Amino acid sequence: MENQTFYYDNKIVKNFAYATLFWGVVGMVVGLLLALQFIWPSLSFGIPYTTFGRIRPIHTNAVIFAFVGNGMFTGIYYSLQRLCKARMFNDMLSKINFWGWQLIIVLAALTFIFGITTGKEYAELEWPVDILVAVIWIVFGWNMIGTIIKRRTAHIYVAIWFYIATFITIAVLHVTNSLAIPVGLFKSYPIYAGVQDALVQWWYGHNAVAFFLTTPFLGLMYYFLPKAANRPIYSYKLSIVHFWALIFLYIWAGPHHLLYSALPDWAQSLGVVFSVMLIAPSWGGMVNGLLTLRGAWDRVREDPVLKFMVVAVTAYGMSTFEGPLMSTKTVNAISHFTDWTVGHAHIGALGWNGFLTFAVLYYLIPRIFQTQLFSRKMANLHFWIGTLGIIFYAVPLYWGAITQASMWKEFTADGFLKYPNFLETVTQLQPMYAARAVGGALYITGVVIGVYNLILTIKAGKLLPEEAASAPALVSTESKRGSGEGIHRWLERKPVQFTIIALVVVLIGGLIEIVPLYLIKTNIPTIASVKPYTPLELQGRDIYVREGCYTCHSQQVRPFRSETERYGEYAKAGEYVYDHPFQWGSKRNGPDLSREGVVGGRQYRPNSWHYTHMLNPQQLNAQSIMPVYSWLIKDDLDLSTTAKKIRVMQFLGVPYPQGYDKIANDELMIQARGIADDLKSQGIQVEPTKEIIAMIAYLQRLGKDVHAAGSSPATITGK
Amino acid sequence: MKINNQKTVEKDELTGDKLLSGHESDNIRELDNSLPKWWVWLFILTIVFSVIYIFVFDVIKVAPYQQDEWKNEMAAAGTNASGQTSLVADTTLIAMSDAPSLEAGKEIWLKQCKVCHLEGGQGLVGPNLTDNFSIYGCKYGNLVHITTVGAPEKGMISWKTQLSETQIKQVSSYVVTLQGTTPPNPKAPQGEPCK
Repeated sequence: MENQTFYYDNKIVKNFAYATLFWGVVGMVVGLLLALQFIWPSLSFGIPYTTFGRIRPIHTNAVIFAFVGNGMFTGIYYSLQRLCKARMFNDMLSKINFWGWQLIIVLAALTFIFGITTGKEYAELEWPVDILVAVIWIVFGWNMIGTIIKRRTAHIYVAIWFYIATFITIAVLHVTNSLAIPVGLFKSYPIYAGVQDALVQWWYGHNAVAFFLTTPFLGLMYYFLPKAANRPIYSYKLSIVHFWALIFLYIWAGPHHLLYSALPDWAQSLGVVFSVMLIAPSWGGMVNGLLTLRGAWDRVREDPVLKFMVVAVTAYGMSTFEGPLMSTKTVNAISHFTDWTVGHAHIGALGWNGFLTFAVLYYLIPRIFQTQLFSRKMANLHFWIGTLGIIFYAVPLYWGAITQASMWKEFTADGFLKYPNFLETVTQLQPMYAARAVGGALYITGVVIGVYNLILTIKAGKLLPEEAASAPALVSTESKRGSGEGIHRWLERKPVQFTIIALVVVLIGGLIEIVPLYLIKTNIPTIASVKPYTPLELQGRDIYVREGCYTCHSQQVRPFRSETERYGEYAKAGEYVYDHPFQWGSKRNGPDLSREGVVGGRQYRPNSWHYTHMLNPQQLNAQSIMPVYSWLIKDDLDLSTTAKKIRVMQFLGVPYPQGYDKIANDELMIQARGIADDLKSQGIQVEPTKEIIAMIAYLQRLGKDVHAAGSSPATITGK
Repeated sequence: MKINNQKTVEKDELTGDKLLSGHESDNIRELDNSLPKWWVWLFILTIVFSVIYIFVFDVIKVAPYQQDEWKNEMAAAGTNASGQTSLVADTTLIAMSDAPSLEAGKEIWLKQCKVCHLEGGQGLVGPNLTDNFSIYGCKYGNLVHITTVGAPEKGMISWKTQLSETQIKQVSSYVVTLQGTTPPNPKAPQGEPCK
């Protein structure tokens, strides 16, 4: 058969590899700054751009989408060409994918710094950037599928199955979760509200972990691990079963982020059981990876690439066991809202994604630069410092999480909360936070050593931009299954059918969970006393979103005695129906705020307290780790947006009266003057047009309506 | 090249496991090993668990949903609101003066009260408690009363759901000891002068 000669595009691989290293360091350094802000809150520097709520999304997005994202593209662009025995489908698409992705990252960092955010975790990008993400993602998929179709091999290998699942699912998730109505270029309201928004958001959030951090990396593992170990894959059968089981089951498990929330119980149950059923399919990947190393364990001791891979795969196994554990209601009651979640996420991010990314880079950079890794010693040092870093990062957080959860739940013999002041439970964790920062710093030190080692490798070598290869052309094969050909083997010859079937498989779970929340009214029983926000409160809420308050404060009281005693009424689905977006949060670095405005409630504070607290939290509590928000007192509220915001809310179904947009600012000023007058009576002079007034108005609204309904279930009826 | 029906069985040199013929992607081979038995059982076990879970919680509903869990928990705990529901203060009460009570009172003060009245009682959001003025009465009994029932519209919350009667008396007694002290930056007097 005639051999065709063609060239692998190594330049695009190199570009993505450089971007991976650069954004990796940036994202992790921002993470370290956040960790230090727990110990020294003054490291927010008193300015908006470096305050926790704004830079936390920079850290998460930079690590996930910039570091891991570029790492994923590096590995896919390298392996896909070789697995398909073909150059990438189109060089221009490759370039658009690369530069487009970097542009998105820069835009993300800039918009977050300036407080332009949707307030939805891991989906904070505003609509114009969201559209760009969708376009670039489709470019990537087009380029990938084009390459697969042009391939010179009969079958597509398991790594490619995972790449395909990644592409289609992320596309569906991103588009569905980002649907919003713009108020302006930099502001939009999601089309979903409250419970529905929460479910869609965590269906997205959970599956971003599944299909951005897991499936592409399993694909990379299936290529780079056997290549580096020079061993055959342990079990083809296992790869088939765990692949399909994984992509089918994963999509259902989103509600485990919302256990004991206002989400209907049946949806929570689905979140629990589908998470538990995920253990085996997840472990299928780990088992297939580790057993592939049988016969090569002596080389693991020698080869840094394999070392990184073994720890990565082990970390994957650990976090995919821990995940289902945390998804049971018993464990979740303890772990949720604490640093347990943060520890869990970092075992995955630092161990699985971080270490596998570096394994891939250590593998492919010497190869495309036609040289050897500059220093094996340095790579080993990186490995050990990194591993220590992961341990120092995670263990204190687990310890702290259990400490804090116990303190939240402890009662005295008289039946009162033992630690009614939330701050006590934070102060207690200070040593753990310090140890965590040390762990993070160690990990970054390892990364810097790794980057240095790779730079020296690159300097010692020379890029082979066009790598010649040859393979026989693909003979068009029988469309029908051959005799003795397994059904899956046939499907591996049919990438388009494969893609369509995978899409159907991933759509099932999402549809079954999300659609009933729209169609069946009893899922969200209405509460008559819950009314839309006033214009001032709406503006205040948007400031709350802008400042990323949700990164530290929840708005979701769980139905536990320890929470209803601390905060007040537990969360009801009907109280969030006008919340575009929902702001339930996922971590309590500070107390829950959803009952803040209940006069006579346990959390109530007067206006003057909020003013003083925003101006200087440490004046009221020296140990407080709340950042200063003094600019809210200086800056004027932007009144030009009020009317438009009301109209968009009306469009989304919020029942403001007809023509309300025209009088909204008048009403806003009346309420603002009331708050300013109250502050004046307490000796605080502030103009009613300042942002702080809107923020106070919003905080003082929280929980008011649902408490007005009383706690008797009779007043809360389904319509 | 016919890749599916080759009859010769190739084996992996190191493990002796059967290699799948025709499965070669960029020199990566695949073995014909079956699914590990323990793995299959683990998977089946989680599926059985899930079916039972959904059956128990969502079909026959014999296990409690979260609202019922909460009701049960609350019922088991009983009530915990401490005394004093009357609208008037008992001004005949006498403040505690023993060191352990005052020490306990100070601890409560530092955790709960200083966030509005500041550490020395000089006041900031809440009134100055060291001067000779008072909004709700100057007697110890007035302090106990206002701490118990609160004045929510002014920002003083009712502490009876968070502190026991003894604790309220301890912290009120500690406040008595602050009267007449001179912490820095005192808040201007509020209320009526005490006689």
